[in-house]
Amino acid sequence: MGTPAVELQHITKCFAKVVANRDVSLTVNNGEVVALLGENGAGKSTIMKILYGLYGMDEGTILINGQPVQIKSPADAMSRGIAMIQQHFSLVPTHTAAENIILGNVHGYIPIKKYEAKLRQIAQDYGFDVPMDRPVGQLAVGQQQKIEILKALYINTSILIMDEPTAVLTPQESDSLMRFIKSFTAKGNSVVFITHKMKEVMEVADRIVVMRSGAVVAEVRRDETDEHALAHMMIGQDIVPPVRAAAAEEEAGQEVLRFDHVSLREKGGTELLRDVSFTIRAGEIFGIAGVSGNGQDDICDVISGVKQPTEGALYFCGEEISRASIRQRNAAGIGYVPVDRYRDAMVMDMDLAENILLKGCFDKKWVSRGFIRRRELNRYTDEIIAKHRVKATGWSDLAGGLSGGNQQKLVLGREVDVGKRLLVFNQPTRGLDMGAVDRIHHVILEEKEKKKAVLLVSTELTEIFEMCDRIAVMHSGRFMGIYRSGELTTAQIGLLMAGVSGEKEAAQ
Amino acid sequence: MLNLLTRAIMMSTPLLLGALAEVYAERTGMMICAIEGIFLIGAWGGFVGAYLSGSLALGLLAAVAAGIAMALVYAFVTVTLRQQQVVTGTALNILAVGVCAFFQRVLFGVPTTPLQIDTLPKLPVPLLSRIPLLGEIFFQQNILTYLAYILIPISIFVLYKTSLGLTIRSTGENPVAVDVAGINVNRVRFLTVLAAGGFGGLAGSFYTVGYLGMFTTSIIGGRGWIAFAICFLGNWSPKGAVLGTLAFGLADAISVYFRTGTTVFPTELIIALPYILTIVLTIFRSNFQVPAKLGVPYSKEN
Amino acid sequence: MRKKVNVLLYNTGAVAVGLLISACLLLFMDVNPAEVCAQTLSKIVTDKYNLGEVLVKATPLIFTSLAFAFTYKANLFNIGAQGQFLMGSIVAVSLSLTLQDTVPTALLLLLVLVGSFAAGAAVGGLIGAAKAKFSANEFLVSMMSTYVVTNFMDYLLRTSLQETKAEYMQTDAISAGAYLPNILPGTRVHLGFLLAVAAAVLVWVLLSKTSLGFQIRAVGRNPFSAELGGIRASRIYIIAFLISGGLAGLAGLTEINGVQHMLLRDFNASIGSYGIGIAILANGNPIGCIFASILFGFLNIMGTTMGRLPGLSIPASIIELIEGIVMICVIISYALRGYMENRSEKQRMRKAGV
Repeated sequence: MGTPAVELQHITKCFAKVVANRDVSLTVNNGEVVALLGENGAGKSTIMKILYGLYGMDEGTILINGQPVQIKSPADAMSRGIAMIQQHFSLVPTHTAAENIILGNVHGYIPIKKYEAKLRQIAQDYGFDVPMDRPVGQLAVGQQQKIEILKALYINTSILIMDEPTAVLTPQESDSLMRFIKSFTAKGNSVVFITHKMKEVMEVADRIVVMRSGAVVAEVRRDETDEHALAHMMIGQDIVPPVRAAAAEEEAGQEVLRFDHVSLREKGGTELLRDVSFTIRAGEIFGIAGVSGNGQDDICDVISGVKQPTEGALYFCGEEISRASIRQRNAAGIGYVPVDRYRDAMVMDMDLAENILLKGCFDKKWVSRGFIRRRELNRYTDEIIAKHRVKATGWSDLAGGLSGGNQQKLVLGREVDVGKRLLVFNQPTRGLDMGAVDRIHHVILEEKEKKKAVLLVSTELTEIFEMCDRIAVMHSGRFMGIYRSGELTTAQIGLLMAGVSGEKEAAQ
Repeated sequence: MLNLLTRAIMMSTPLLLGALAEVYAERTGMMICAIEGIFLIGAWGGFVGAYLSGSLALGLLAAVAAGIAMALVYAFVTVTLRQQQVVTGTALNILAVGVCAFFQRVLFGVPTTPLQIDTLPKLPVPLLSRIPLLGEIFFQQNILTYLAYILIPISIFVLYKTSLGLTIRSTGENPVAVDVAGINVNRVRFLTVLAAGGFGGLAGSFYTVGYLGMFTTSIIGGRGWIAFAICFLGNWSPKGAVLGTLAFGLADAISVYFRTGTTVFPTELIIALPYILTIVLTIFRSNFQVPAKLGVPYSKEN
Repeated sequence: MRKKVNVLLYNTGAVAVGLLISACLLLFMDVNPAEVCAQTLSKIVTDKYNLGEVLVKATPLIFTSLAFAFTYKANLFNIGAQGQFLMGSIVAVSLSLTLQDTVPTALLLLLVLVGSFAAGAAVGGLIGAAKAKFSANEFLVSMMSTYVVTNFMDYLLRTSLQETKAEYMQTDAISAGAYLPNILPGTRVHLGFLLAVAAAVLVWVLLSKTSLGFQIRAVGRNPFSAELGGIRASRIYIIAFLISGGLAGLAGLTEINGVQHMLLRDFNASIGSYGIGIAILANGNPIGCIFASILFGFLNIMGTTMGRLPGLSIPASIIELIEGIVMICVIISYALRGYMENRSEKQRMRKAGV
């Protein structure tokens, strides 16, 4: 087999709040695809960012082709043939593809046309069709990823690290990526593939390294394992799906939320939502599946009131609320757990009580004559902390000091009280550990039992299948259809997510 | 009238130097909020250098050095220590007044007659200066003005046609991309701020070495901020900076012209015009292309 | 709580270091810093009038620093406190001159209080509205507004508001009936100081105890989360700027009716920028603004006292030098504190990890 291309030995890395990597060792051989598998927060990205020179390490050694090396910056890494494609692409949206690709690898005067021609050639060699002279911000995500790959190819990379590359791709785009990886490694190059999806691992990896809480817990060859075993290694326990009450179909509750031909267009004219209609009834969990970025966030924005539909209307308990203010919607009983709690649900440098107040600063319960009723608020906050098992010392903790799962539980506790009739969850379990996921699933089912209407947006098909009574599949702002739970197979839903129409139309 | 236009070009010089410096710095994401102080310390440095050495060239050099020194402190606090730019700028602007006044006293005590230096001579460009009208307006200026002319095409070329420009433009838009491409973001910002400080210092020296021949701590009178505003209104492009500078230079020239008369006519309105213009444009112009990460410190590890 | 103590410790340390550096600079003047400082201090401390002057100087600074601190809480930059203060002064002097002999003092002062607040609030409110309606850059607009107001004032000073003698660019002096009453005999300390302290306390209560204050802070810290809480950021921007401008305007009342008794060119030209420095020093805390303002007032008096020391020619402008250095030290101390806290967290993690 020869000398490994990369050897990481006993690497430890601490951040201010977590130990991200603890004594991590792993090797990558030439011509091999190594999958780095683990849950969010397991330390996969961190270890690779260390190899790429983005993070410094506290302890450990890196060997490239058997030689110990110091990698202090991405420049060091690139000069040794290592390239990394970040999960969130690192492109300058206002610059052209060519400018993005040559950034950092040109000197002096730039005859841009010459570079564009040269890059077109490289792109052609790999069968990529990417316009070189348009701002990349205008291109589709799949194309942006190709630009990222071209960046790596341009500097003759032999070790390519990809962080969650399929998260934003349709199943079909993923397939084309897999083909690229195979042809790339066939030339003797290596790929490290960071992911938390077992299916991809089984498809592309030669060897699988499983990480959990910052440490390597297992290393196996693909042909020696299966998805079930991998899941067990990844999570450290077997998955027990939450018990869901058999859908009481005959007892369809009252209509709570109705979208009536809702369309949403941006100022520039881009269509975010196209003619979306659906109804959610009390006591029902309505799921929306799809690759992220296909309009799910916009549906949530329209319900919460951040955006207003350009066409069509939405009704809440029979009343039109298309133009109602966010404050009115909160007061009417719509609870919302947004996908990005850092940005949209919390204020990290305020204490927990103030974070609860965020949704109650117009509520007579917490405010009297303009003054905050701090004692009542603090007591209530402590109740939420206890009830939802938030690991915190009390209301005075800063929100930013809590772990992601505990932050999410606090938001959840707040929103289920705000949302007396409707709860909207946008990927509520993304990036959380199994314990928190479990807790959140149980809460959602409890709320359903209380006859609330629930909208659950998720990109995880398992979550959709386990939780929802009815499922809508979204693709580029459109509903591909609405189905009863159990009507769809994974293959069918995959096609729908890619925008390929199914035979069956909406089943109301 | 001719006189007025000649004067407008002259008064545009420091504004253009300052605005171009600001454009470059802001393209890397760094607002130079200490620009007023940099102008002032440049003016003072230029004056002291010229006075003590008797050489105007050394004066200009001292101005550049003073500007860089102030920019060094600014860059250290805002880039290396990642502190708020507005806040740091305010502190340095106050400090600059103190430094100039204090060391002026240290060096010169309380002079009985105001200290005076010669100003940069007008250098008529051979041939060109003889063009009717245009010659007098454009080609009978001092060396700093000519330098500003030359800097216009150079700054456009460097920003849009070279790797340095690409790096600078990328740093303000998406520092992560720059970092991942193997370029040290903070080094780019630090060095750009230093360079901007040098040009800012030179701009400031125009008021002492190039124009008045004397120094007071109120000599800049908000013109550093005007340069700051021009960068903004010029949409962060050198071309826009040139246009904006001409407008403000004209207003500056008119106001100097008017300040001499005492009429019922609200001459103050004309003096205030550049500021009013800035406000109006800031409010009603909507298609600004602000560098996405303007004013945001860069840190890799949360 | 521990964090607050920590902030206070670092701040005090930074101020001390800044003063020390400044004192060393006195060496350039060929004087013994320790001696000069001791001399100056004894001059201030032993003289009741001088001590009073510290509070007199601190009074308008409390207002302008509160003005900056207030918008700062909403993550806005009101750099235009100077202009708002001047607008307050214009209204204060106009009201006083027009009404001084017809209206009883108490009522007049009340009117001037309302008037100068409203004047500052109007300027601030316009900036806030520009931010809210057109998402204009409030930093730039507020900065430019100062120059506009200054020129407006200059215009008035040589036309409708000019003194009857029409000699200088200044107004007539207001009559004693329009003065803010003195509260410390033997000094120039006037009621305005108590007003300023009261304003600081009110601002503190508003920010930390009321729903409006919470909304302002929430918008400042995270406008997206605040929006989903039903808080309209545009409304908050306008309110924050109204109050901020009004606070700066009140400095017009204290300076016109309390100290200068007339309006003239270059009136208190730097209290706006000092206000920013003080607010930073106080870490945006309204109560801290009181103490930081008193510190600045003290430095101010120290500067002038030093300038008057016989035989030395220390310029009064040393004050700017000291203040600049102190502010830089405080800003650096913020970075240092952040670094130290981060490091101790990290070490704790590491120990726990092994």
